[in-house]
Parts: sequence; C-alpha cells; structure tokens
Amino acid sequence: MNAIEIRGLRRDFPLPNGERGALRTALDGINLTVGEGEVHALLGPNGAGKTTLCKILATVLVPSAGTARILGRDVVTRLATVRPLIGCVFGGDRGLYGRLSARRNLHYWGALYGVPGHELRARAAELLDRFGLTAHADERVETFSRGMKQRLHLARGLMHAPRVLLLDEPTTGMDPVSARDFRTLIGELRREGRSILLTTHDMAEAETVCDRATLIDDGRILHTATPRELGALLSRHERIEATDVPAQLLAQMGTRSGVTSVNTGPDGITLIEVTDQDALTPVLRLLVDAGVTNLATTRPGLEEVYLQLIGDRGMDVAS
Amino acid sequence: MNPRLPSKALTVLRHGSAIAVADLAAVYTWKTWLFGWLVRMLSQVVFFTLVGRLTDAGHNEQFLVIGNALMVCAIEATMVVASSAWERSLGTMPLLVAAPTHLAWTFIVRSLQWVISGTVSSLVALFTLGPAFGLRWTLNSAAAAVLLVLLTALGTYCFGLALAALVADQPALRNIVSNVAYLGMMALCGVQVPVHYWPQPLQLLAQFLPLTHELEALRGVLQGAPVLRILGRAVLGVITGVGWLAVAVVVFGWAARRGRRTGAIEFGT
Repeated sequence: MNAIEIRGLRRDFPLPNGERGALRTALDGINLTVGEGEVHALLGPNGAGKTTLCKILATVLVPSAGTARILGRDVVTRLATVRPLIGCVFGGDRGLYGRLSARRNLHYWGALYGVPGHELRARAAELLDRFGLTAHADERVETFSRGMKQRLHLARGLMHAPRVLLLDEPTTGMDPVSARDFRTLIGELRREGRSILLTTHDMAEAETVCDRATLIDDGRILHTATPRELGALLSRHERIEATDVPAQLLAQMGTRSGVTSVNTGPDGITLIEVTDQDALTPVLRLLVDAGVTNLATTRPGLEEVYLQLIGDRGMDVAS
Repeated sequence: MNPRLPSKALTVLRHGSAIAVADLAAVYTWKTWLFGWLVRMLSQVVFFTLVGRLTDAGHNEQFLVIGNALMVCAIEATMVVASSAWERSLGTMPLLVAAPTHLAWTFIVRSLQWVISGTVSSLVALFTLGPAFGLRWTLNSAAAAVLLVLLTALGTYCFGLALAALVADQPALRNIVSNVAYLGMMALCGVQVPVHYWPQPLQLLAQFLPLTHELEALRGVLQGAPVLRILGRAVLGVITGVGWLAVAVVVFGWAARRGRRTGAIEFGT
C-alpha cells in the first residue's frame, strides 16, 4: 500500500478581486504516489501549489476534484481514520503555545491525538530527549530560538507516532547548523520506516534527504524522479570540474573525441562534458598528467535542474 | 459509545486548561490584576450604584450593587470571544483542525481563565462593596452567592463561546461582538433596570441569557425568596448556559467544515 496516493487532484479558489465565478487554479489535476517508508521532496516556487497540496493531505482543505489517500484512506471522507495517521509540521515560529512550556505543549497535542494520559509523560520525555530539548523542557516556548521551536514542532508532530509526516517548508528561516541537524533527524525518521512528504525551496535539503523529488509549478507536476534521474534530464553526459587547467591543454581538450564541451567560468572553474564513462578516464588521465589535481566528476544537481525546468524566479528560490 | 471517549475528553480538558492558566499568568501579575483590573471593576460597580443614588431613578442601591457586581463576571467571561481568536494569531488553528478531536474541546477550555478571574472579581465586589450599600450576608447566603456567581460566569462563558464560534472566521469582528454582547446583557438582563422595563420582545430575548436567571436567583437569595423559586431560576440559568454550549459545539464544527471548504484555514509561516 502506498503512503500517499493522489489522483487527478484539483483545487480552485475564487479570485479575491475577480469577477463573480472567476477562479484561480492552485492544483491542476495532479497525480502523485509516495511509497511507504519513502522520503519525497516537493519542489517548486512560491505559489506552485505545494502548501495547497499539504493542506489537502492534512485534511484542512477539501479538493475541488480528484482524490487523495493516506495509507488507502480517503482524506475527505474518512477523516476519523486518516487524521491519527498523519503528523503535520510546518516551518516558521507559529503553531505552538508560546506561553506553555515545551513539555506542556507536547502533552496537550498528544492529548488531542488521543494519546492516553499515562503515556503522555513518557512519550513527551522521550521526544524532548531525542530532539535535544530536555534541558529546556519546562521553559516557555516563546523564549526558544527558531531552531528549537522547529525541533519542538517536529516532536509535536511525532507525539502520536504517525506513519506519514507532512513537512511544509520545515527549515524556513533556520540557521545552517539547525537546518543540518534537522536533516539528520529526517534521516532517522526514514530509518524508522516513516513516510515523509517534504515541501521545500531548499535544493540542498531535498538532495540530501529525499529518495525521490517532484518538481511542481503552476499547480502542475513537471517531473517525479530520484535526484540523480532528475539530474540526467539536464545532461546525460559525465562532467568534470577542474581548476587551473593550462590554456594549451584546454585547446587540446576541445578537439578530443568524446569531449562534447569545454567551458571555463569567471570563477576559473573549467567544466568539461564527455559523452560517456569510456571517454571520461582518458580525459581525467590527461588532466592529472598535466599537473591538474583539483578536479572532480559531477552530475547536474537538483538546483540546476530546478532552474532549468522552472526558471530563475529570482528570490523565490533559496538554494 | 467508545469507552475511551470520556477519558480522552478529560485528558484534553486537563491539559488544555494549562493553556488557560498560562494565559492568565501572562495577562496579569497579581499586582496588575489587583490594582489594574479589580480596582477598575470595583470602581465601575460603585459608579453605577452611585448614579442610581444620585438620579433617584426609582431603583434602590441594593438592586444596582447586586446587578453590577454580578455583571463583572459576565464582562470577563465574555472575553472568551476575543481570546478564542488567539488560536488564529498563534497559527495553531490548522493543527487543531487537523487533529482527530472536535475543535470545540480546545475552545471550551482555552479561555477558562476568564471564568476564574471573573468569579473572584464578582465575589470581591459582592462581599466588599455590597455591605457598604446595604447588603447583609449570612453564611448560607454567601455560600449560595459563590455558587450563583460561578454559574453566571460559566453560563455567560458558554454564551460567549457560541459568539466566538460564530465569528471564528471573522476575527476582525471579535471586539465588536464582545462589546455589544456584554453591553447588551448589561442593558437587558436586569443589571441596571428591571427586565420588565423593556418591550416584550426584548424581555423574551433576555430569557435566553444565563445572566438574567442567575441574577434573579441571587437577588432572591438576598431578599429571602422561597428556596424553590431561587433554585428554579438558577436551573433556568444553567439550562440556557448548556443550550449556548451546544450551539457553540455545533457552530465550531460548522466553522471547521466551512474553513476546509473555503480554504480559510491558513498554515502559519
């Protein structure tokens, strides 16, 4: 059984100042499947439909058409059975009771999910410990840093041990260290077998933690694949990055069979693309023989794929 | 019925009441409660009672001091309309809707601080200002007053909850609704003038408000009315309060369904 199964999902909203009956389509008949135990990233610019999709899966929004199922249960018609299966976490400062302590927040959210009274204390203590918040467990949440709040958010989302986690831009505004710790936690959750749908702007985050990624724009899905497969969409060629390549060698490289392009950027990094693995080894040997030691083989990253397929929406992309 | 349901509800109520206590501690220190809130409310009771004396409008001071002292807890209980909107500003609303517990449970407990503070404020007004305006307390009448003030605060709180549910997706209206509600109660429920002062339709409207009945019961206690009559009015107050609670539960459910349909429940950022 799939963790998430979406078929022909559509959501229209009335235009705020539009004519009567005029609609804006946030999701335009999308299909998506997330397997059990999979970490799946949903990538797209602001307004692409990521949060709308999360809201539908979290049961706080009903679709205009189509179906969405969590572990086989419809999110519109089977609320009572779907809701306990889902843990919902979103980024930012909000969504917690700032005047309560971290521990009391967890107790309350656990109670709302039907965690029995005697289990609340133990579960909260375990999660506080796991997320490194034990020392601050009885402090008011409004005194927490953003990273601490985000960890508490994740702990809150796990109080009822959900099988599916919806993480909507969970690292928004986090400092790099907190974001890295957060990714480590997501890795741990994956190893526990939880299924995770992660919406993000952060390509590095998606590349690091996800099994597959879906690119979404304007309410439509552009591609779903592993990050490596997505990279291959841009270039099927092997690539070598090297610095300080002698000019003579560069000229020589351009005429070699199997080399498709040689470009040196303003940063001094030369990007050499070769047709396949067979062509790669002789080129690498040539570079090493010429004394070039600062080199690496690469493939296009998610960020490159994203920019190529979706476009550089300026500040919408926080890479 | 699911046998776990009562225990689940109790767990939610117990842990949810921590929010109310935390809010009370954040809104007031004992000094600001005493010298800011309580003194202001006692002044209001004295003001309206003295206006009655000065204008000699045909009301006796006891009528006014009882009405205005009990009104204090009604005013504070009505603050539930405003504080219910805090869930929206905290960004907890979508998470509450996504949880497998009826939205109403959260709202029922999250503002109970006003009931506690309001009850204490009204009792201080009755027991300290009352004697200055001619009220004579016995042990029995004082005990009955404590119970009736608590019932008034709870009944009015339920009325406020229903109003809070009605404006759940219109947070900009919360202060207007809250103010109109308590001023309306002050006018109609027999606080300043007897209920029969008003035209018939407004008298009928007043019968749907818990304050009207509990106030009548409290006056009955102090005037030595028959116990059955006092009990009858107190029970009517409870019934109207429970009725408003039922309205609140239904309307919160309706508001959640409407929010899911319209997309009004926003994720926080």
